[in-house]
Amino acid sequence: MALIELRKLNKIYPNGVHALVDVDLTVQEGEFLVVIGLSGSGKSTLLRCINRLIEPTSGQILYRGQDVTHIQGKELRQYRKKIGMIFQQFNLIKRRTVLLNVLTGALGSLPVLPSILERFPDNLRQEAMEKLRIVGLEDKWNVRVDALSGGQQQRVAIARSLMQHPEVLLADEPVASLDPATSHSVMKYLKQLNTDYGMTIICNLHFLSLVRTYGTRVVALKQGKLIFQGKPEEITQEWFKEIYGEEAEEVEIA
Amino acid sequence: MGTETKSQTTTAQKFQALILDIFFGIYFVVTLHRVFYYQVLLSLRKLPPVTVEIVLLYIGIGTIMGLALFFLNASPGKRIFRQLPDIPWKKAVAEHFLWIIGVLTIATGWVVTRVSILDFFSQEGLAGAKRIFSALLSPEWSILPQALLAIVETIYLALMATLFALPVAFILSFFTARNLMRQSPITLGIYTVLRVLVNFTRSIEPLIWAIIFTVWVGIGPFAGTLALMVHTIASLTKLYSEQIENVDPGPIEAIEATGAHPMQVIWFAVVPQIVLPFLSFTIYRWDINVRMATIIGLVGGGGIGTLLMQYQGLAQWHEVGLLVLIIAIVVWIMDYLSARIREALV
Ligand SMILES: Nc1ncnc2c1ncn2[C@@H]1O[C@H](COP(=O)(O)OP(=O)(O)OP(=O)(O)O)[C@@H](O)[C@H]1O
Ligand SMILES: [Mg+2]
Repeated sequence: MALIELRKLNKIYPNGVHALVDVDLTVQEGEFLVVIGLSGSGKSTLLRCINRLIEPTSGQILYRGQDVTHIQGKELRQYRKKIGMIFQQFNLIKRRTVLLNVLTGALGSLPVLPSILERFPDNLRQEAMEKLRIVGLEDKWNVRVDALSGGQQQRVAIARSLMQHPEVLLADEPVASLDPATSHSVMKYLKQLNTDYGMTIICNLHFLSLVRTYGTRVVALKQGKLIFQGKPEEITQEWFKEIYGEEAEEVEIA
Repeated sequence: MGTETKSQTTTAQKFQALILDIFFGIYFVVTLHRVFYYQVLLSLRKLPPVTVEIVLLYIGIGTIMGLALFFLNASPGKRIFRQLPDIPWKKAVAEHFLWIIGVLTIATGWVVTRVSILDFFSQEGLAGAKRIFSALLSPEWSILPQALLAIVETIYLALMATLFALPVAFILSFFTARNLMRQSPITLGIYTVLRVLVNFTRSIEPLIWAIIFTVWVGIGPFAGTLALMVHTIASLTKLYSEQIENVDPGPIEAIEATGAHPMQVIWFAVVPQIVLPFLSFTIYRWDINVRMATIIGLVGGGGIGTLLMQYQGLAQWHEVGLLVLIIAIVVWIMDYLSARIREALV
């Protein structure tokens, strides 16, 4: 059974922008799926529909065969728990420590009141330290996140999402605000989660060279329509021009 | 479609111009007759009473004037919207009419506020000024203990009003933040009702609230505190909720994506972004409240304002001098301290 299945998914924003048009997409467990497309093609919208941060206008989202398109409340929160997410702007709680930020990843499993009083059980703190070890930041646990570099912040965000024990990780242009070397280090952590832990990754990317290095499958969006699905090496010059427009030139990222 | 919207706006503007012309016409007739004729030309101190007939006459003549100007295309209203056809003499009429309206307005203002150069520089007036300024410059120090007690009362009154208002405003501000409340029609309804209430409360000056509360709970510091508190709740709610509306949505998305409860989302993604601005607003508000508490004292809200009122009523200008001096010093210190604290916070 497919892990995620999108059927005829449409998203029309209140301002009338048709951001997703009849998108049909199947994601298998263990894939490293990369989504490419021009700015404004609907990549972020697609990702946010999967964990329902955005409500699709029509169509269906199936998770392990179960319809999750309209679930609400506790059911929705439990569904979201299975899906980690990282962002281009990291979206950490600034002014707070690395450890606290990682701990917020476990909020979905914690009762509301104790968590608000920041009473986290000891085993959870230990687990958070373990996750920090995975991303190589255990010695920074007590540092305020806004004192870290961009690459380090993204790794904190990865550690935070690991606290959810996610089955899927959504990554919305995770390296778009990082320099090339740092980009690779962050992408390597994602690849490691994919190969070592079998975690399914769905990642929006801008650079085709990163797609070829890390992706096991690629889909391309153009004006909200899914126009390409295939292996990274199947993106020919013709497809490249089709996806990014006639004028585009491919740039390498070192 | 472009032409359609254009003709629509011109129709709307034509209508507004017509309304303006009629208003200008009536305004012109009324000010010309009652201010210029009676008070400037005839220098009457007491105006003849306004009767229904007179009012109807004003409206009638004014409306006819306005309509005439409008349809002759010498319309001041159209001139304001830059819609006059290019006929020089008509333009000149419209513009001169606007000038006359302006002059009449200043003349009316002058008469209404009883500006009188004579009073300002008269023998008697200057003697009075000399008396009060010399009194203010030689304050009566013997009432210092009493004055200090009163100003302390004022400062605490402002503090209590601010402190009581703070938690209420804090909670209300989440319900009056559009970005948090637009999820469902129900929350949006609550938002709208609260927003209207807050804006209405805020638009009533603390001084007016003080008058209301002195009637309600009697003259004294409690009425003053209540008045300040009500106004502070409304102002802080507005400032706070604007701050909430401006938070970065990124962390909210991130915490939502972990499967967190809405309460947890607010606590971990919204609150950390707003505590410092909230604190800074609150201190600023306390500073404002000390000043307002002084004024509120004038209508019997307690504290140094009430004391000032008493000595002023007794014409004991040296005592008034001391109070003014103390108010000035305290306000200056509060101003300085609050600015310093707020600088340190941001
Ligand atoms: N909240 C919103 N309200 C209205 N329109 C939106 C909203 N979010 C996105 N859009 C529009 O939907 C379209 C798709 O946006 P989306 O953010 O999904 O694209 P993207 O592929 O992620 O682009 P980028 O590479 O710039 O992040 C764009 O035209 C965008 O302007
Ligand atoms: Mg995007």
